Amino acid sequence: MLTKNVVRKNGSILFNIGTEEGSDFCYRQNRLTLQNRIFIGRFFFVAKQFSPPVQQPAARIVAISPDDGSAIDLRNPALAAILSWCLPGLGQLYQGRTYKGSLCMAAILATFFVGQWLGDGKVVYASWKPGETRWAFICQAGVGVVALPALVQSLQLNSAAREPLLASVFMAPPLTQGQYVTQKYADLLVQHDPDIHADDFFDKPPLRQFRTDQLSIWHHRMGKFFEIGTLYTMLAGMLNVLVIFDAWAGPLGAPTEEDRQALRGKKMA
Amino acid sequence: MMLPLPEMILLPCALFASLLQRVPGILFGLPLVALASLIFAATHHEDPAEIRFGTIHWAVWLGGILGMVLAVVLLLGWLA
Repeated sequence: MLTKNVVRKNGSILFNIGTEEGSDFCYRQNRLTLQNRIFIGRFFFVAKQFSPPVQQPAARIVAISPDDGSAIDLRNPALAAILSWCLPGLGQLYQGRTYKGSLCMAAILATFFVGQWLGDGKVVYASWKPGETRWAFICQAGVGVVALPALVQSLQLNSAAREPLLASVFMAPPLTQGQYVTQKYADLLVQHDPDIHADDFFDKPPLRQFRTDQLSIWHHRMGKFFEIGTLYTMLAGMLNVLVIFDAWAGPLGAPTEEDRQALRGKKMA
Repeated sequence: MMLPLPEMILLPCALFASLLQRVPGILFGLPLVALASLIFAATHHEDPAEIRFGTIHWAVWLGGILGMVLAVVLLLGWLA
């Protein structure tokens, strides 16, 4: 295998060509004869074949800031978008956009938890029973991981387990009329909910059957605060979609005065 | 004729309080307008100062548009 060392000395270039056998050939470029030129031509051809590949710089995905035109390194946009869905603003923090990430995280999570508080912790739940479908959860799921327990609780309650995870009322869907649950969960509901009593259940050993409709009880007790809490949590989820897009593609940007004038000029033409 | 300063402050407050009393949802709607303005501004800008200015800009726009819609709804309700 041919190797090449290029050495600059006294303004001339020396090519030192070594072979595996160890013999070297040296040429001074400023004393080129026809034979030298042919050899150097062949040398360049061979050196090009055996020269190490030039390292290309890794491609970076950047967005342009609409405020000062600076580049925003988006790193891995897909990962940033997923992180922003998991926790609002986390994707921006991953990209080093600390101010924006912490601002979005604080604002969206605060709105979500205020909505939960207004709704007594009962406004975020998942249900897809005919007539009882919770369409609001589609928007609430936009907040990410903080809304996922509702999905787990619903799957557990509607499965053979007949009770939510750890028999907890946290983000559990409301019981419908005629729904079967375990005795443990029924006792927990009677204990925690002042509007549910022991005689609201039929005894169907080893389970118990709910006689009324828990969602109606919630609406009656909370009034308009159930809807307001739902609205807060839905809006938090929907606005997080914009944050996810910002993490994926950078700021949406606003047209500058020059862009507007150019647009007006096009319309008039 | 110019009103005295206390009345100039109290009168708009009284009008706003009266509006809140008639349309209770406004009280809970104002934080949502503020949140939406903040997120819109944050996703359109990168510089913190521009985000702050943009939040106020969007709040005025959203408040104005929603206020017009509310005014039309109230007017239609009054006429009906």
